[in-house]
Amino acid sequence: MKRTSTLDMASLATATALGVVMSFAATMGAAAQTEITFSYLWGGVEGEALEQIIADFNASQSNIVVKGVSSPDTTKQLASMSSTSGSFDISDNFGSNVGAWASKGILHPLDDAGIDVADFIPASIDQVTYDGKLYSIPIAVHDYQLIYNKKLLDEAGVAVPATMDELAAAIKALTKVDGSGNITQLGLGYAWMPTTMTVLGYAFGGDWNGGGKPTPTDANAIKGVNFYADNVVRPYTSAAVNKFIAGFGPYMSPEDPFHTGKIAMVIDGEWRSASLGKVEGLDWGVAQIPAASPELANSTLVEVSTLFIPTNSQHKAEAAEFLKYLVSPPVMAKFSHALGNLPARTSLLGDPIYADLPNYAAWLDALKSPNAKSFSSAPYVTEYVTDLGSAFDAVVQGTQTAEDALKGVADRSATYAQ
Amino acid sequence: MPNRPKRSFRLRPDLPGGRALFKGLAFASPFLIGFAVFFAWPILASGYYSLTDFSLFQPPKFVGLANYQRMLIDAKFWKSLYNTLFLTVTGVPLSLAIALAGAHVLNLPVRGQPLFRALVYLPTIIPVVAGGFLWRWLLNAQYGFVNEILRWFSIPQPNWLVEPAWGSISVLLVSLWTVGGTMLIYLAALKDVPQDLYEAAAIDGAGPWRRFVYVTWPTISSVTLFQIVVLLIAYLQIFTQPFVLAKDPGIGSSTSSGPGDSMLTYSVYLFQNAFLFLKMGYASAMAWMLLVVTLAVTLVLLWSSRFWVHNGRARD
Repeated sequence: MKRTSTLDMASLATATALGVVMSFAATMGAAAQTEITFSYLWGGVEGEALEQIIADFNASQSNIVVKGVSSPDTTKQLASMSSTSGSFDISDNFGSNVGAWASKGILHPLDDAGIDVADFIPASIDQVTYDGKLYSIPIAVHDYQLIYNKKLLDEAGVAVPATMDELAAAIKALTKVDGSGNITQLGLGYAWMPTTMTVLGYAFGGDWNGGGKPTPTDANAIKGVNFYADNVVRPYTSAAVNKFIAGFGPYMSPEDPFHTGKIAMVIDGEWRSASLGKVEGLDWGVAQIPAASPELANSTLVEVSTLFIPTNSQHKAEAAEFLKYLVSPPVMAKFSHALGNLPARTSLLGDPIYADLPNYAAWLDALKSPNAKSFSSAPYVTEYVTDLGSAFDAVVQGTQTAEDALKGVADRSATYAQ
Repeated sequence: MPNRPKRSFRLRPDLPGGRALFKGLAFASPFLIGFAVFFAWPILASGYYSLTDFSLFQPPKFVGLANYQRMLIDAKFWKSLYNTLFLTVTGVPLSLAIALAGAHVLNLPVRGQPLFRALVYLPTIIPVVAGGFLWRWLLNAQYGFVNEILRWFSIPQPNWLVEPAWGSISVLLVSLWTVGGTMLIYLAALKDVPQDLYEAAAIDGAGPWRRFVYVTWPTISSVTLFQIVVLLIAYLQIFTQPFVLAKDPGIGSSTSSGPGDSMLTYSVYLFQNAFLFLKMGYASAMAWMLLVVTLAVTLVLLWSSRFWVHNGRARD
C-alpha cells in the first residue's frame, strides 16, 4: 500500500484551498448577476427562436441572466401579475390589451426606459400609449391579406379576386359540393376566426371602433359580416359548413385545412409567410383583401405584439435593459424574421433580411395603406372582442341576422364601463 | 343557596378543563387557521367585493348593488344561467338513473365483477382536463369514434362540438362519463339493504319491480338525497368540461363559449368576467348569486326529503 507523503499532503491541501477559493469566487460572480424571468406566449419553433436571442443576450454581458419560460396561458400570465411579487419580470401580449391593463395599474410605465420611439411605426406606438404614457414597446406588427392556393384557383379557372364581386364569384367557383350535399372544398375559410369578419368589415368601409368607441352597428361593417354569411354559409347551409369544418385539423399543423387543400382562400397574417413556404406541394400566393370600392383598396386590420414589464416585477431596471436589447434594430430584425412577423421599426421595413420570406412584401405594403385600421387600446376591448366573436358566430350559425347579433353587442357595450 | 363556581371559558392551561380546551384548539388549529385564511376570509371578502367596482389590481370602489342590478340586463348572464339550468335539470336525473341502473348491474353475482367495477370507476380518476381533450377527439363529427359507432348502426351523426343545438348535449355527455363515482356509492347502498326484507317481499309475492319500489328505493332514499345534493352542486358549478370542449378548434383560444354560446355556463361566464374582463366585483356578485340559488335549491330539497326519504326503512 502506498503511503501518503508530506508532499502529497501539501499538494492535496493546496488543491483543496484553491478549489474553495475558486468556488467562492464563482459564487460571488454569480451573486453579482441578477436573474430575471422572461415569460413569453410563443411556443414551438417561435419559442426556440426566442431562446436563441435570450442566449445571445446572456452571452453579451455579465450583469443580467435572463431565464426564458414559454407559457402560452394568458390567464396564468394575468394571475401572476395580481400578486405582490410576480413570477416574471418581462412578458409579451397584444397592443389591444394595453389600455385595459394600464388603466388597472398592471403595467409599469416605460417612458424612462431610455427607448427612442421615434423610429417605431406611429400607429403601433399609439396602441401602446395610454393616458399619455408608454406602457409597452412594440416588438412586431401584423396585418391581414388574402392568401390563396394557386393550384385550386387555376383548376377552377378563377383569377385572383380584386373586388368584392370577384371575391363572391371566386368563393362560389371554389366551393365544391358532392352528390350527397357534403362540402368537399370551401372557397373562403376560417369562419370561426373573428379577424376574418373584422377585416371584411373594414373592406366594406366600416369601422368597429370608430372614435375610440365600440361601433358594432356601423352599417358598412355589417355589410362585411353579411358578405361572409351570404357567400360562404347561406348558399350551402350552416349545417353543411359546420359538418365540413368539424374535420379540420389544428391551425398551422400539417392537418391545417389550407395546407391540405380543403380551403382555397383564407384571410390571415404575415406570420404564415414563415411556415407556408415549408408546406410540401403547396403553391400559394398573397393578394390584397378585395375592396368594395377603389378608395377602400388594401383595407386591413393591424395588430401589435408588445413587450411589457409588470408593476410587480422585482427587477424593473434589469428587465428594461433586456427589453431595450430585444427592440434594438438588429435583434428585432432577427426576431421578426424568425417568426415571419413585420418589424415595428420603420427603419427595418426595407431590410434585406426579409427577402427570403415568400410573399412577405404583400403584408409589408399593407402596413403603408391608409385603410389599415386597428382597435384602440381602450379598457373595454377584451370584452368587446369576445362579444363580437359571439355575434359573428351567431350569424355564421344562422341563429341571428348580422343586424340583430351586432345590435346585441351594442346593447352590451353600454355596460362595459360598469 | 350555595355559591356555585363560575364557569370560565378563558384559555387557562393551568386548569384541568382549560388545558383540555387549549390542547383541543392547538390540535385543531391547522384546520381552523386554514379554514379562516382560505375559506372564511375569501368568502367574506367576495361579499364585500360584490358591492364594489374591483379589477383585482386597484383598490375596490364601493358601488352598492350596481353589480346585482347589472345581472338583470346582462343577456349573457341569462344565457349562461339557462345553459347551466339545462345541464342541471337534465344531468342530475340522468346521472341518478344511470348510476342506479349501473349499480344494480354491478351488484349481480357474476364472474370478474371487481374488474367491471374498477372499469366503471376509472373515468372518475382521470383528470377532467385530460378527459375533456380526449372527448374533443371522440366527438369529432368527421373522424370521431362516437360518430363512427353511430354510423355502424345507421344512426344520424350529430355535429357535436360545432352545432349550437349539440353543444350543451356534448357537455352533458362528457359529464355523464364520470358517473362511476355516483354508481359506486349506490352500489354500497344496495349492499346495505337487508336481505330479509327482500325475502319477506318475495314471500308476499312481490316481483322485481315491486321489490325495487317498496324495498330498495325507500331503503336507499337517504343516499339518493345525498347524491342529488352533491350532483346538484356539481352541475350548478360546472366549469372544466365546457371550458375545455369550447376551446376554439382553430387557434385554441380559451375565450370561446362554444357554438352559439351553447357552452357558456354560469361558472365559465363568471371566470370570463373575473380573469378576462377583470370585472372581479361583478364576478363576485355572480358567485354570491350562485351561492344563494344553490342554497335555496338545497334547502327546498332538504325540506322535501321529509316526504320521500325513509331513513333506512322500507315502505309500509
